[in-house]
Amino acid sequence: MSTSIDNPHFLLRRVHSLLGLIPVGAFLIFHLWENSQSRLGAEHYNEQVVAALKGMNYLPLLEIFVIALPLLFHAGYGLVISAQMRSELLRYRYPRNHLYWMQRISGIGILFFLLLHVGMTRIQGFWDPAVAEDLYTHMQALLSQPWLLGVYVVGLLLSVFHFANGLSSMAIAWGVTTSVRAQRLFGGFCVLFGLLLAALGLHGLMGFLR
Amino acid sequence: MSQPSVIVVGGGLGGLWATVRIADAGFTVTLLSLFEVKRSHSVCAQGGVNAVLDTKGQHDSVRQHIIDTIKGGEYLANQPPVKSMCEDAPGLIRTFERMGVTFSRTPEGLLDQRLFGGVKNKRTCFAGASTGQQLLYGVDQQVRRLESEGRVIKHEWWEFLSLLRDEAGVCRGIVAMDLRSLEVRAFMADAVVMATGGMGQLYAPKTTTSTNSTGAAASRCYQQGAWLANAEFFQFHPTAMIGHDKTRLMSEAARGEGGRIWVPRTPGDRRPPRTIPEVERFYFLEEFFPTYGNTVARDEAARAIWTVTQEMGLGLGGGDRVYLDLTHLDQAFISTRLGAILEIYRKFAGVDPVTEPMEIFPAAHYGMGGLWVDFERAADGGIANGSVRNHATNIPGLYACGECDYAYHGANRLGANSLLSASYSGRVAGESVVSYLKGFAGTRPGVREDLIADEVARQQGLNRAIQEGQGSECPYRIHQDLGALMTAKVGVVRANPQLESALSELRQLAERLDRVDFGAANPWAHQGLVFARQLRDMITLAKVVAQGALARDECRGAHYKPAFALPIPAGTFPGDPAFEAYRARWQENNHQWLKTTIAEHHDDGPRIHYQEVDLSLFPPTDPRDYR
Amino acid sequence: MTEQSIHLRVRRQDRPDSPSYWQEFKLPGHPDHNVVSLLMALREHPVTTTGERVDPVVWDHNCMEEVCGSCAMLINGVPRPSCSALVASLTQPIRLEPLPKFPVVRDLLVDRTRIDEGLKQVKAWVRIDGLWDIHEGAPRIGPNEWAANYLYSRCMSCGCCMAACPQFGPHSDFLGPAPLAQVRLMNAHPTGRYDARERLHAIMGDGGLSDCGQAQNCVRVCPKEIPLTTAIGELGRQTTVQMFKDLFGPS
Ligand SMILES: Cc1cc2nc3c(=O)[nH]c(=O)nc-3n(C[C@H](O)[C@H](O)[C@H](O)COP(=O)(O)OP(=O)(O)OC[C@H]3O[C@@H](n4cnc5c(N)ncnc54)[C@H](O)[C@@H]3O)c2cc1C
Ligand code: HEM
Ligand code: HEM
Ligand code: SF4
Ligand code: F3S
Ligand code: FES
Repeated sequence: MSTSIDNPHFLLRRVHSLLGLIPVGAFLIFHLWENSQSRLGAEHYNEQVVAALKGMNYLPLLEIFVIALPLLFHAGYGLVISAQMRSELLRYRYPRNHLYWMQRISGIGILFFLLLHVGMTRIQGFWDPAVAEDLYTHMQALLSQPWLLGVYVVGLLLSVFHFANGLSSMAIAWGVTTSVRAQRLFGGFCVLFGLLLAALGLHGLMGFLR
Repeated sequence: MSQPSVIVVGGGLGGLWATVRIADAGFTVTLLSLFEVKRSHSVCAQGGVNAVLDTKGQHDSVRQHIIDTIKGGEYLANQPPVKSMCEDAPGLIRTFERMGVTFSRTPEGLLDQRLFGGVKNKRTCFAGASTGQQLLYGVDQQVRRLESEGRVIKHEWWEFLSLLRDEAGVCRGIVAMDLRSLEVRAFMADAVVMATGGMGQLYAPKTTTSTNSTGAAASRCYQQGAWLANAEFFQFHPTAMIGHDKTRLMSEAARGEGGRIWVPRTPGDRRPPRTIPEVERFYFLEEFFPTYGNTVARDEAARAIWTVTQEMGLGLGGGDRVYLDLTHLDQAFISTRLGAILEIYRKFAGVDPVTEPMEIFPAAHYGMGGLWVDFERAADGGIANGSVRNHATNIPGLYACGECDYAYHGANRLGANSLLSASYSGRVAGESVVSYLKGFAGTRPGVREDLIADEVARQQGLNRAIQEGQGSECPYRIHQDLGALMTAKVGVVRANPQLESALSELRQLAERLDRVDFGAANPWAHQGLVFARQLRDMITLAKVVAQGALARDECRGAHYKPAFALPIPAGTFPGDPAFEAYRARWQENNHQWLKTTIAEHHDDGPRIHYQEVDLSLFPPTDPRDYR
Repeated sequence: MTEQSIHLRVRRQDRPDSPSYWQEFKLPGHPDHNVVSLLMALREHPVTTTGERVDPVVWDHNCMEEVCGSCAMLINGVPRPSCSALVASLTQPIRLEPLPKFPVVRDLLVDRTRIDEGLKQVKAWVRIDGLWDIHEGAPRIGPNEWAANYLYSRCMSCGCCMAACPQFGPHSDFLGPAPLAQVRLMNAHPTGRYDARERLHAIMGDGGLSDCGQAQNCVRVCPKEIPLTTAIGELGRQTTVQMFKDLFGPS
């Protein structure tokens, strides 16, 4: 008998979904909260936030297993999923259809943003100790270039949208919200959540602009 | 070929029940249908299906169901099959229920029942307002299960063209056509079951039936020697909304749930209906039939509407329409009870029947007649279980069930009895076929190859003739003319001179069909060719209807010839001398006409003879009286 | 009822493998025409606006009451049954195209075998022993539960929802929303429940539930207003539970 374990289709998709929330989504919240402390100045940011993190035991392991691999899996499988999309945005002008399309497009957008972003921060930090030393200044330098700032704003908003909308569709996929009413209510909650998260992120970005 | 196999033609309720029953017995079934079986006309039935469950405190009984069916059909139905059908009805409902049919429920979670036309007890099970759809899907799912187990082989988009009979005249297969490639080929089998549904399209567009209910398949069997019985009995549904393409049924449930039929008392009154005061409304069904009122049987209701519009000139705006009014009922109540049918009206007329009375008129709905089928009487007065004779046509090896047979409804069908008869007859036909197959001793010689090849070639020749035809005729226009002719002259009310002229006009229509020209049409999925073939067989069938109607000089059930009417003398009741004299005349008439009409095909037209009806259970002593 | 001219554009295709092309027609019509009755009128006189006599348009129809599901097509770009598409409510020229995602047979006629295959794949039936009476009363089903189930039992396999679903089509093996909704229905039946596990496993495989991306076009276009997305949510819940049973439960 074919059970859901023998055929990985279902489990892969659920793992993809779950990883979107934990740890990737959770990391995003944490990361944006972390960055929002840029508001408190370079010193606080470099010493209280970055250094505190760096002081954690097993940090590389955490980075690999809690951030990099889950994200890579989510992104990789996300590309596979996105390949199945045949959206007809003009024919079906329903909000949900547009969100469906945006979820996939934003995912691909995030992927590009991350390549750039992680490359310019964490990766660059490997051979340029100055970056790792004073991340605040580094970020400040990056973000003072208007085009990069633009990229960051877009990347941030795409990520936040993707996460918030992902939550609402995740709730249906896992069977948390079933009725139309529940889906609408939770959708509203996700909008609020997304707005808050976006505010947090923008707030953090502005912290580097001084 | 060791394991016998069966062909079932038609995937409506009748065909699917037969299929499941035969496959359950271990025989392989080949199922043919013009289209995906779940689109069969059975889905159209809205109202419900009758079965005595007696859950409404009305002391309903199977005996009463039998009597209602027999009386409703004015005694023309053989009584043993009716008895067995009514007795098995509750079991059939329970079986449907097991299949997962979503019958509507009472607050206690039990099957709900409602009132339907022609009876006094709540006896009709229903599934919202889409009962036929739900019943059909129930069996369709079972067939799909059997198909996935390899026990049923479906050929959808194949049309039955003719029977293959061996030298002894036994039916051993069929010739059918792929509706896409137009490939014609033979399918061999040890028994064939016809379940091809009704023939309402003879009256198009004034019919409630689906566009594929042409009756062509039954006509083809008839042309190869099968008998057609009681073809002149055609039920007109009193409440249909008039449309260009089709008249859509307003279910009887609308009357059952309290809908009232009326016209303004003043001819030509054009005021908006809701502004017309009660006293100026003529609730004619309630006045004509005080006991039954708006739930009077269909034929009475149809004729009453005919009288009021044609004879009294009271039709709305002087035309062919009367009101069916629900606006006095509680909105929430009717929305839950009648939601789907009200939606149909809203959808197709663009008006909301909750706030505006509907405009309706009678339309051809159900042919009581069809392929003649046999039965074997059992000692208890019903039919003998598993007899090979049940639902056998006069051609050995050929069975028929569902609306395309003639059994159960006599001269008129009770509302909600035909989903029952289609299901029941499908099961019985299936059982008979199983007995028939088990009865084979050893193997039979195969059918001669040349007979098969000849029939296939003949059918291909018919296709070629149409493809090469020249002239200026269009089959669709001929069909319109056929429908108009049948509606006007072989319709609700009939008279011999018109029937005679109808017969000659039918001959002209057939000649026109010889001159159909499709030009150099693309032969792939050539619907015009398919339709032209069906139309020829429909015209042949229409001749049987008209001929039977012409021959039958009386009024019985749906067949109404005013020139031969025997009305109950007004104001008299059983016991009155005038009434007793009437009863004597009525019995005299029965003596002459209470017989099954049987039509046999001959090249010069149908030959008609009559057969005694089995009246062994309830001899006709009382005329039908709906006052 | 005034006669007026109706302008029609029809995408035609002669064979499954041949290219499609457009033809235009103008015909007189009543405002209470629907698209099927319009095509019926057209087949009596199939002449294009350029005066060319052509084969009548091929399409599928049967009940004319929106219960059989035959007549679905793309009308002005939207998948819907044509028998209930009143001409008066459509902007002209009325564009008719075959129902997308399904292979075209000819003109507006498509092959919807895939719906049937989907129903087989998910075992959309209640397994019963046979068509005989077992002399046992029906199991009770409360009116509320009935009302919820009934909604799904009205699916007429028209395929509109599948045509509108961005995840469904020749490019994917996604079952589509209609067969999924039937799993919801069958799993709710007192006896159908016995096979719920098999059905859930069927929709947890390739082409199953998780290929739905919550685009929710399906529920918008369904002419029968079947709550497909509710079904998808409920199946999400059922499969979640089933997954844990498979992973950790007794086998
Ligand atoms: C609008 C309407 C409402 C109704 N409401 C009710 C109701 O409420 N209660 C009730 O009891 N009855 C009702 N009836 C009557 C009832 O629906 C039918 O009598 C019954 O469904 C007939 O079922 P069937 O199986 O005989 O045929 P159908 O369901 O008509 O099936 C015929 C089958 O035969 C196939 N077929 C036909 N010709 C060929 C061929 N040449 N080759 C291959 N296949 C062929 C078709 O593809 C189809 O599958 C209603 C009828 C109408 C018109
Ligand atoms: C609001 C603007 C953002 C700022 C200012 C910002 C800042 C930073 C910084 C400074 C680092 C380097 C950390 C280090 O080297 O230790 C970093 C790493 C990272 N950022 Fe961002 N980030 C932002 C938005 C985002 C977004 C939207 C994402 C998307 C998910 C993201 C994902 C990552 C990832 C994956 C890393 C690498 C983490 C690691 O392994 O340490 N960032 N970010
Ligand atoms: C910031 C990092 C990301 C976060 C927080 C995130 C989060 C989520 C969440 C919570 C979901 C919902 C899961 C579900 O519907 O079951 C989701 C879905 C999805 N993600 Fe991501 N994701 C991120 C990055 C990416 C990337 C880089 C891609 C790659 C293209 C991607 C592609 C997708 C796709 C295609 C879906 C849709 C799944 C569906 O709707 O069925 N995501 N994501
Ligand atoms: S769910 Fe609706 S749109 Fe889809 S096939 Fe069924 S009836 Fe048609
Ligand atoms: S449109 Fe398709 S993606 Fe899901 S919600 Fe409906 S099945
Ligand atoms: S013809 Fe049946 S749904 Fe339109």
